[in-house]
Amino acid sequence: MIRVNGGDHEVTVEPRVTLADFLRDHLRLTGTHLGCEHGVCGACTVLLDGQAVRACLVFAVQADGQEVTTVEGMALSGLPTPLQEAFRRHQAYQCGFCTPGFLATGEALLRSGRPLTRQNLPQLLAGNICRCTGYSRIIRAILEVAGSR
Amino acid sequence: MKSAPFLYHRPTSLGEALDLLAEHGDEAKVLAGGQSLIPLMAMRLAQPAVLVDIGRIPELRRREGLTVGATVTNAELEGEGGGLPPVIAAALPHIGHFQIRNRGTLGGSLAHLDPAGEWPALALLLQVRLTLVSRRGGERQLAVEEFMRGPLQPAIEPDELLTAITFPADQPAGSPFGFAEVARRPGDFALAGAACILRGGQPRVVVFATGGLPQLVEAGRPIEATGDLHASAAYRRATSVDLVARVLAQAGAGATA
Repeated sequence: MIRVNGGDHEVTVEPRVTLADFLRDHLRLTGTHLGCEHGVCGACTVLLDGQAVRACLVFAVQADGQEVTTVEGMALSGLPTPLQEAFRRHQAYQCGFCTPGFLATGEALLRSGRPLTRQNLPQLLAGNICRCTGYSRIIRAILEVAGSR
Repeated sequence: MKSAPFLYHRPTSLGEALDLLAEHGDEAKVLAGGQSLIPLMAMRLAQPAVLVDIGRIPELRRREGLTVGATVTNAELEGEGGGLPPVIAAALPHIGHFQIRNRGTLGGSLAHLDPAGEWPALALLLQVRLTLVSRRGGERQLAVEEFMRGPLQPAIEPDELLTAITFPADQPAGSPFGFAEVARRPGDFALAGAACILRGGQPRVVVFATGGLPQLVEAGRPIEATGDLHASAAYRRATSVDLVARVLAQAGAGATA
């Protein structure tokens, strides 16, 4: 049993299926993107029991009994989250491939309560690669939400 | 980038895990946080027939003073590492990215024994003791020098489990230390690194990510380095020398070694 975006799923999968492949291929939640598939690019970052993790570095069976939030589960009300809205306003994406991972990382950082600054964000975001934006717009978007809390 | 098939076991007690390792031995690999093993499996550099997932064994998640259970995560040590030697708090932010630290464990890193890993370097620097347990041999303790047989080659028998790591008591809060590493991007594998503590007033310095196992820096003994795709031997050696000077300065020990 696994809880994904508020819904419970009981699915039988091979142990070798990663959480990322489980979400994409078994639940058809293709918002979680797969880039490198070995933990370097951060595109597949999701929240597992509230913590940002690489969905390609977790086997789905390891998440048995746990709760996953993907990009599809962030705006359950139908309205964008404040972070999604800030990404839109600052144009913090171009092709959008990395965006679900950045949103998961950003949510985890915002929820952690740690101070977020122009100085520490580049280091905290180092686990996610974006090849379009040059990062400054992503940093601005996260800082705006952090500042409004 | 998909793992080969394997049988999966998720024991919920230490005894159950030891029974599984006794039964499967060589065929089995222990899965802790998976942040090193799962990439290796994805690239099929590792194809274990059986995985024993020790992620839900309460005995391995305990901390008693300076003895830390093998599956305590790096993120947990970042949050609650108080009382451990202060060099650890300086090194932890360099271990992967925070998303990796949420899963990656102390024991997993030491059992993997990657030459570029921060934990093997800290273990040698601090001279930790490692507790190993098996059905056949019971419990034994190893000094770190006995544990590190070679890169990626810990002295863990196929039916044995690394259960706990004990840190020394001579590095209380406020003890001087130094830590520095060079990587292409924060959180990436180090291309060279160094760490330093003072023991009995004398600096003890370790360099790591030079190609082989972490090395104790001693007067008159050159730093050994090997080159690979990421950095040449000459770069690693020169950078290590610089980093040694840097960590000595951080520890207030001057360039004495």
